[in-house]
Amino acid sequence: MQSLYALLQMYETEYIEDYKKSWKKVKLSNAEDLLKVAKALKANGLKTIATVSPTDFLEKNIIEMNYFFEDLISKRNCWLKCDISRELDKCEIESITPLFKGANWHEREAYSMFGVKFLHHPDLRPIIISQDFYGKAPFRKDFDWDAHEANTLQNIQTIVDAFKTEENENDKGIDAESSETVLNWGPTHPASGPIRLKVHCDGEDVISIDPDIGFVWRALEHLVTKKDFIGAIVAVERLCFMDNINSMIAYAQAVEEIAGTEITEFAKWMRVLLGEVSRISSHAMGMGGFYNALGLHTVAMWNMDMREFFLDFLESYSGARIATAAIEAGGVRYGLQENMLEELQLALDKFDATKDDMRAIFVKNPTMKMRAAKQGIITAQEVEEYSLCGVVARASGVKVDVRLDEPYAAYDKINMDYVTQKTGSANDRLVNLFEELEQSVDIIKQAKKHIEECIKSGKFNPTKDHMVKVPKKLPAGEAISRVEWSRGEVLMHLVTQEKATSPYRLKMKAPSFNHTMMLDKLLKGQTLSDIPLIFGSLYICQGDLDR
Amino acid sequence: MILELLQKVYRVSKALTVKSPAQKDVRTHLMHETERFRGKHTVDYETCIGCDSCNKICPTNAISMKHLPFKKQNIVPEVNLGVCIFCGLCEDVCPTKPKKSIVLSGGRYDMLSGGWHEDQENFWVQVDIPQEYIDSRLEAEEAARVKKELAKKKKEAEAAMKDKEIKAPISGEPNFSGGTL
Repeated sequence: MQSLYALLQMYETEYIEDYKKSWKKVKLSNAEDLLKVAKALKANGLKTIATVSPTDFLEKNIIEMNYFFEDLISKRNCWLKCDISRELDKCEIESITPLFKGANWHEREAYSMFGVKFLHHPDLRPIIISQDFYGKAPFRKDFDWDAHEANTLQNIQTIVDAFKTEENENDKGIDAESSETVLNWGPTHPASGPIRLKVHCDGEDVISIDPDIGFVWRALEHLVTKKDFIGAIVAVERLCFMDNINSMIAYAQAVEEIAGTEITEFAKWMRVLLGEVSRISSHAMGMGGFYNALGLHTVAMWNMDMREFFLDFLESYSGARIATAAIEAGGVRYGLQENMLEELQLALDKFDATKDDMRAIFVKNPTMKMRAAKQGIITAQEVEEYSLCGVVARASGVKVDVRLDEPYAAYDKINMDYVTQKTGSANDRLVNLFEELEQSVDIIKQAKKHIEECIKSGKFNPTKDHMVKVPKKLPAGEAISRVEWSRGEVLMHLVTQEKATSPYRLKMKAPSFNHTMMLDKLLKGQTLSDIPLIFGSLYICQGDLDR
Repeated sequence: MILELLQKVYRVSKALTVKSPAQKDVRTHLMHETERFRGKHTVDYETCIGCDSCNKICPTNAISMKHLPFKKQNIVPEVNLGVCIFCGLCEDVCPTKPKKSIVLSGGRYDMLSGGWHEDQENFWVQVDIPQEYIDSRLEAEEAARVKKELAKKKKEAEAAMKDKEIKAPISGEPNFSGGTL
């Protein structure tokens, strides 16, 4: 941390603050210094960029750029800010993609949503928003949504035209000597989900892959600013329905930090319990999805069967199986009744009953090992370079887990360790997924035991302790909160204005965005039949890819 | 070999004796029932105080308020189930006690199970208020108004009496301050 401070002092800054345990918050005076600082940070060990998040301040006529640099090894992080002009033709900043490859799509997203031009970016095309989108920079505060609504169909012809030109272009390479063309993998492929991979291939060999995303773009980051702080949870949980609890925890933590609220011990333990149940429900689907992509549906069926028991618990607790809306700022939304824990025990028993078969048949499956042990290998250096996280990072042997690095809720009292593999192949990611399922069950057992003991001794009152009041109007401020989501680190950057009743800006950094970026690198030179395998192993969900 | 065969026969024959885990008819019963299940809303127009909280908090604007011909407590929520996401925030904020006026938990789950177009057209939680209730409320309101007016008149009369009583001794003396303007 000392060297980081010394490094940052060399530049002209407005302030350098300590933020939380592992963060330094810095505001640069000149946006021109950005590239130099980024270079120095990289040399200092902060090789990963979590995300790039612009905030539009209409009154001050500036756009504030936020960069979140992370060091996955020694857990030092730096939150870098700088101001740039808001006017569309002057709204530009030096791109850091040449230094940090993980910033590539994040800068493209900032370009599409806020109109920030990144100079010397290798591939600055709009992303997520469709090419027929009416209007520019939809997340700016002065974007005319009414005009957009009125003219949604105006540019529809551009899609048809683009498709036709693309079709003609793609046919050019096909003749007697060559079979070079572009294939579309998705968005209606059974294994793809709503994503379209433009696979540039020669016969069976993949030359390059250009993912086309945004099919399920709901503009969640914009949507939350139209709701109040409580109503925003339903937008946040739709980041991905498979693990909705943890995304709500991240949002609730950010609100609590700005409001200065400390939640009760019981609520903290409940967050651990619910979060892990949600993680299991997601990992179970992730494992199923991996095999589904290869055409074997048995795993998904077995896992769904097991997952139903965990969903039963979620339903008893919150009243809904999938969209639970169970975490609010101030704690957890409902009290706990003891018969619910019995229901959870049923689920844990079900898991314990199936896990041995699961491991013997599918995780140690020799056919799968032959197929996947040498495919899609991601090295530890690439994890840092491309800002990968979660299961994908841990399968490559990188010890990164927000639950341990920056413990939130009651994770500091949980006995757990990093689950890692060695090689980072597709098979390792599957094994890691399964081992994390076991770890989650272990955590649930610990949390359940603690909650039961504390209820018995009268330390927790499960029907009253679950919530503390959070003021309806928050002061001006900003906070970042990180949680270990099922797919990796989710970083939420929340900005509020004075006496705010709704968020001013909420940036949600979701892991699938970075993982999809890897597809091109991993699949280059492979064959078409490897696409489902590697795509499935990366554990991508289009919900948090598009947001 | 024979043992294996017997084992297999035994395993298969278990299917005849062991009860199937699917014992419920899911067309009519839920597989898993809970008290908190967030289903179709029920709106209690008698206890609803018309505070508009549920309408304000609704994240998808699924609630619209129906106007009633009363002076007070004259709005009552109606829910568009096609828009509703069943988050249950309206129930959370409802201030009436001891029972909430808008309730989802424990609500019906078979909302669009008829499959007929009539079922889809009427995909709303509507509040049908019987005419008798409206009449009785109007009567009660009228009675309250009359009562209030009477009380007001009485109060005025009393005040006038008091004024007279206070003024009475003054009126006996010559008034020098009056008539200047």
